[in-house]
Amino acid sequence: MSPILEVKGLQTSFGAVNVLAGVSFAVEPGETYAMVGESGSGKTTVIRAIAGLAPAQAGSVKFDGEEIRGISERAMRPLRKDIAMMFQDPTGSLSPRLTVRNLVTEPYRIQGMKDKDLDAEAKRLLELVNLPAHFADRYPYQLSGGQARRVGVARALALEPKLILADEPTAGLDVSVQGELLNLLNDLRDRLGLSMVIITHNLNVVRHIADRMGILYLGRLVEEGTTEAIFDEPRHPYTHCLLSANPEPDPDARLERIALKGEPPSLLIRPKGCEFRERCPMASDICMQTPIWEVENGHGLRCLTPR
Amino acid sequence: MSDTLLEIDNLSVDYETARGDLKALRDISFDVKKGEIVGIVGESGCGKSTLISSILRLTAPNTRFRQGEVRFKGDDLLTMPERQMRNLRGSDISIIFQDPMQTHNPVLSIGRQMVDIQHRTKVSKSEKRSIAAKMLAAVGIPDPEARLKQYPHEFSGGMRQRIAIAMALMSEPDLLIADEPTTALDATLEVQIIERLQELQREFHCAILFISHHLGVIAELCDRVVVMYAGAVVESGDVREIFHDPKHPYTRRLIECDPGHIKERARVLPTIPGEVPDLANLPDGCIFRDRCEQATDRCAQVPPLEKLKEGHFAACWLNHPEESST
Amino acid sequence: MAKSHSELSIILRGVAKDPLGLLGLIIVGMIVFSAIFAAWIVPYDPIGMNIPDRMQAPSLSHWLGTDSLGRDTLSRVIMGGQVALKVALPAVFGAMAIGLTLGMIAGYGPKWLDNFLMLFFDTVRSFPTVMFALAVVALIGPSLQTIVFVVMATSIPTYGRVARTQTLTLRNSEFILAERAMGASMTRILGVHMLPNIIGVLAVLAAMDIPTVIALEAGLSFLGLGVKPPTPSWGALLKDGYALIRQTPWLVVGGGLPIILATLGFTFLGESLRDVVDPKLRKNR
Repeated sequence: MSPILEVKGLQTSFGAVNVLAGVSFAVEPGETYAMVGESGSGKTTVIRAIAGLAPAQAGSVKFDGEEIRGISERAMRPLRKDIAMMFQDPTGSLSPRLTVRNLVTEPYRIQGMKDKDLDAEAKRLLELVNLPAHFADRYPYQLSGGQARRVGVARALALEPKLILADEPTAGLDVSVQGELLNLLNDLRDRLGLSMVIITHNLNVVRHIADRMGILYLGRLVEEGTTEAIFDEPRHPYTHCLLSANPEPDPDARLERIALKGEPPSLLIRPKGCEFRERCPMASDICMQTPIWEVENGHGLRCLTPR
Repeated sequence: MSDTLLEIDNLSVDYETARGDLKALRDISFDVKKGEIVGIVGESGCGKSTLISSILRLTAPNTRFRQGEVRFKGDDLLTMPERQMRNLRGSDISIIFQDPMQTHNPVLSIGRQMVDIQHRTKVSKSEKRSIAAKMLAAVGIPDPEARLKQYPHEFSGGMRQRIAIAMALMSEPDLLIADEPTTALDATLEVQIIERLQELQREFHCAILFISHHLGVIAELCDRVVVMYAGAVVESGDVREIFHDPKHPYTRRLIECDPGHIKERARVLPTIPGEVPDLANLPDGCIFRDRCEQATDRCAQVPPLEKLKEGHFAACWLNHPEESST
Repeated sequence: MAKSHSELSIILRGVAKDPLGLLGLIIVGMIVFSAIFAAWIVPYDPIGMNIPDRMQAPSLSHWLGTDSLGRDTLSRVIMGGQVALKVALPAVFGAMAIGLTLGMIAGYGPKWLDNFLMLFFDTVRSFPTVMFALAVVALIGPSLQTIVFVVMATSIPTYGRVARTQTLTLRNSEFILAERAMGASMTRILGVHMLPNIIGVLAVLAAMDIPTVIALEAGLSFLGLGVKPPTPSWGALLKDGYALIRQTPWLVVGGGLPIILATLGFTFLGESLRDVVDPKLRKNR
């Protein structure tokens, strides 16, 4: 089976700032891929570039075999039925003066499908995300964070897309409702056969929703593999630091924390050699060389001093 | 001399709105001892913002203090004259916010702001600058002298938060209120901030009131924990007691739902179904009743916050088995 | 549609709660009512001459007296209100509509278009309105349409700039990005998603602008460059009264008082509207 999404060497710069320095990954149909990274890693730019909302100066993005990097908005428009996005700010991504009904049926209007019974579609979509039917008349400011998120999911599913790109789907949600959203996404994915790319810095979320994950640092993937493999045996020191930085809800937990030194370097002055070198607890002289991406048994790694 | 620094005593606060009174805080009681780190755990709508603004007396015009006292070193802050309150704020009681940009004035340099904060001390300007530089070093900002000239936007989010901590601790407050200081930060930065706070707390001996909905951080940092839900305290106690032997269903469910706690990939994650009740239209009885799996008929009556053992309080009928068995 | 009704009533209720706003609402209401029904409520024919009754002081039959041609002042005041609104409303709302459209395009479209439109706005704004009006009147001759045109042309940049700023602010919001992600065209984004969020601010501006335009029309008519006599205008009344101020001072009252009332009324209403609309905008964001 060919991948539903294939990204190769994606590069994006905003002026002099090189945000994405060559990102490559692939998503199989029905798979959930998590792109993990911290602020400044470029993870939001990755999905925006894929969706054509951010520029991509070089590289290839193939959706269902078709090249979409750099195509015109006109050429992209029909594909927007198949690629749906969910944004980080749950209420902020909803047009404030539209009712929920109009918000979830907006994709139909945009694609010119006005002959459909939009009221019925709205009902169907609200049911899909477990929102009571009377929510159709509400406005975004009348919704809680969790409810607004679900409206975003409903909207994303309106035209039965093949691929969902979700930017921090659980950000801003209380812990007690995060599970609800993740369960919903998992369920929908199973029922509708969706493929998903999830951007997050929350490793706990990744564990429960992603099949495979990639760790992004400074606009480049440093490690990639199945979620289990990465959690059980992280090989890149950065991955290891990220995983150990998770405080556990147990006051007696003895934490083997690997401290990361300093802050991520400025994107204007990328370090020479391995870009993680200056903060890496395992750095040595060999790291002055530029590490290359190597794949072994489906596990990708860019490191000269792996664990 | 009492050990207690801050005492919240039966505090009830409403907001008057067009829809009716929003009962944001109902009968809140807990205290903070000198040098202690107390965590307030609560999700959206639990009342923590109202609590903080009540302690600092920086409340919205439609706030109504219905009952209770907020005693700081024995004095009730709610009846204190504004001039005295102003002297306390920023010197005896300091605060850091979730969004560091709220603390910093974007058009003034960091150095200028840190010098301004010291307006009550009677030392020279250059003295104040060197104190500011020392504080920046204490929070791990490299090259502090040079950095004093820079503006907030020239720093990353993590650094801005550290500067906010430096500014808050400069006056050596007795009480530091930290309102979700790490919620907006990545995990690795969060860890750095927490460790820094721990070091500084040991050095300055201030008490910290740490508000967060991130259970892992609370578990790591705090000595005692107060769990709030929809405007009420449902449980409070020693951090070990709360995490290892929670006595309120909400606390139990909250710990269960925290994904950090679930090691294996779960098909279906636990969640607390339902929504937080409308504070203008409170249900009868226990506030958590509608979402609680263990609710019984007794819960139609509001359970009082009872002392279960030394230092551990909970508001739940399940802790009081009835004389006649059900 | 249901929302516009309830939103309008929410706004009106908000305005009515404010004492000055309520006053403004009442005054504006009266002016608009009398302007619409002028033909039916005037006690006498406002333009017909009636020499025998000329220059009479205010009395029970003529509440504001008569002018040098025997015309009832009150009737002329009422009709003058219709004229004032006939100029102010089309001019202001026309300017608002055009300014809104151009401003949104400037804020959302390509940079070169923005630069071009800004240049255009700044050029028009640099013309002093009254001088421009005089020039146009000299070229085309005075009439109601001329004034409407002049006022509209010179007001467009103000609305344009505000609309542009609001558009620039909203352009990078997540909901606009979400619309782009769904493939919405620029027309749709501007018309369905930007416009409703911007129009509140512009409507307030318009309400505050109306008294300025009324005063402008009165000023031009006072100079004899506004509406052609015998069409009544508050400014013309002022002019007539001023010329014969010893004999017919009531004309000055008849001309000046409505201008003052209209200015106060629309200003109170506009400020109250702004207070009501502003917090709503914040909440909805």
